[in-house]
Amino acid sequence: MDCSDIQEKLSAYIEGVISSEEKALIEEHLKSCRKCGESLADLRKTMEYVKNLEEIEPPEWLTQKVMARVRSEVKPKKGILQKLFYPLYIKIPLEAAAAILIAVTAIYIFKTIQPEVKLAKIPSEEIVTQIPSQEKRETPPIDESKEKAILPSPPLEKGDKRGFEAEQTVPLKKPEIMDKPAVPKAPAMVTKQEEIRPFAGALAKDEPSRETLSAAPKAKALAEMKREGISLTVDVKDVETDSKEIEKILMQCGGKVIKTELLENKIVLFAEINPEAVKGLIEKLKLIGNVKEKGVDLEGLKVAATRSRGNIEIRIEIVRVPMQHY
Amino acid sequence: MKKNEQIKDNDYETVSLCKKGDVNAFEALVKKHQKRMLNIAYRMIGNYEDACETVQDAFVSAYRNIKYFEEKARFSTWLYTIVVNLSRNRLKQLKIRSNREVFSLNDPVLTDDSRIRIDPASGEPSILQKLEKKEIRQKVQECINSLDGEFKEALILRDIQGFSYSEISDMLKIAEGTVKSRLFRARDALRKCLKGVSGDL
Repeated sequence: MDCSDIQEKLSAYIEGVISSEEKALIEEHLKSCRKCGESLADLRKTMEYVKNLEEIEPPEWLTQKVMARVRSEVKPKKGILQKLFYPLYIKIPLEAAAAILIAVTAIYIFKTIQPEVKLAKIPSEEIVTQIPSQEKRETPPIDESKEKAILPSPPLEKGDKRGFEAEQTVPLKKPEIMDKPAVPKAPAMVTKQEEIRPFAGALAKDEPSRETLSAAPKAKALAEMKREGISLTVDVKDVETDSKEIEKILMQCGGKVIKTELLENKIVLFAEINPEAVKGLIEKLKLIGNVKEKGVDLEGLKVAATRSRGNIEIRIEIVRVPMQHY
Repeated sequence: MKKNEQIKDNDYETVSLCKKGDVNAFEALVKKHQKRMLNIAYRMIGNYEDACETVQDAFVSAYRNIKYFEEKARFSTWLYTIVVNLSRNRLKQLKIRSNREVFSLNDPVLTDDSRIRIDPASGEPSILQKLEKKEIRQKVQECINSLDGEFKEALILRDIQGFSYSEISDMLKIAEGTVKSRLFRARDALRKCLKGVSGDL
């Protein structure tokens, strides 16, 4: 062993983690080698220095700082909760905004539906000005029935109401509404067979009782009349040409076609006409073909004709009939 | 490993309280271990402020990860491992920083006294003789600072902190034989350093 080998093992020698053979070798060498002896002494001194290094004291604030940071680490747990709920701070306004939007939309939609009622009411007030006040009370049920009736086929209604309906279907109708009040009272028109749809029939049944109960039967009758439709069936040879003819007749009688339904073998005209013109209309229609009438009860019609300032609705079915019937 | 007997860890109860989220229990652990933590960090880094920060980081890191601490080793061993690693990292950062500042060594304002002396000191044999005790310590620390990280760690943990080889082997994740060889080389290097600085011991 030379000195470098020995010096490498001096530390292990000091530690005592060395085999006894090596230990003996090193001790043997140290006796003869002054340099290695010095190295051993230096090493021991070095280790002593190291061990004697002073222990430094932690600053007083160290614990506080550590704990402050640790506690701020704990908060993130709350922070996680906050994160879960934090979106609510955004969501709540969003939800509120959404709720308002929905509400506004709902109101808007409502308003688009409501006009039927409102428009119907406004004309009814018009009537009220000229007719006893009971009329006004009568109108709401009328409106209801009318609304139900709209889809299958419009029943007779108050002229004003029809006006609204016409506005929806045929814009031209509107001016007509303006004219109605000006229409003079007409004598009763008769000979009308009413083809009443189920609900209309129900209404008709109610009519008498209402009339009797009402303090103002005439006004009532008017209201009833307006609500009821007159239904005519005209048997013709040529549906198309004759329907045009019938339209002309309608125009002549002051009526207006609201809509035309083309069905198989027949054309249905929905028209508005002043009650007083109904009789004349039927007369003229008879020239074209066989007319079947399904009307409201004639008395009511008469009253309506005399009282009404508005038009009533009329439904004319133009039906093609086999030749042999003619 | 002869660890099983050592598992009697007097921190065990406190640690399990910590795992349940008891912050005060953790504070007790901080108070108990901070000094040793700081000494390890200080000897490794050689700078008091950096050592303090490193210790703080180490404790915070320990708190975050205490739920992952398995009682396979002592809590203290686990804790010191953290501070050794963080000190190692801090040292790297400081070296990178000081490397950038190397060129400013000529600048008296920015220059750290102790660092300047390390290099030129070797040529002045008479200095150590005049050193007083404090100065010797300073010198020793400077020489420790000059050691490579792995030797430094072994020296600090063994000769300064007095951990057993097996504990050091756990902390540094190296075999005990490696711990020894590093330790001995560290001592030798330190001896040479001090000898070089002083010319005599």
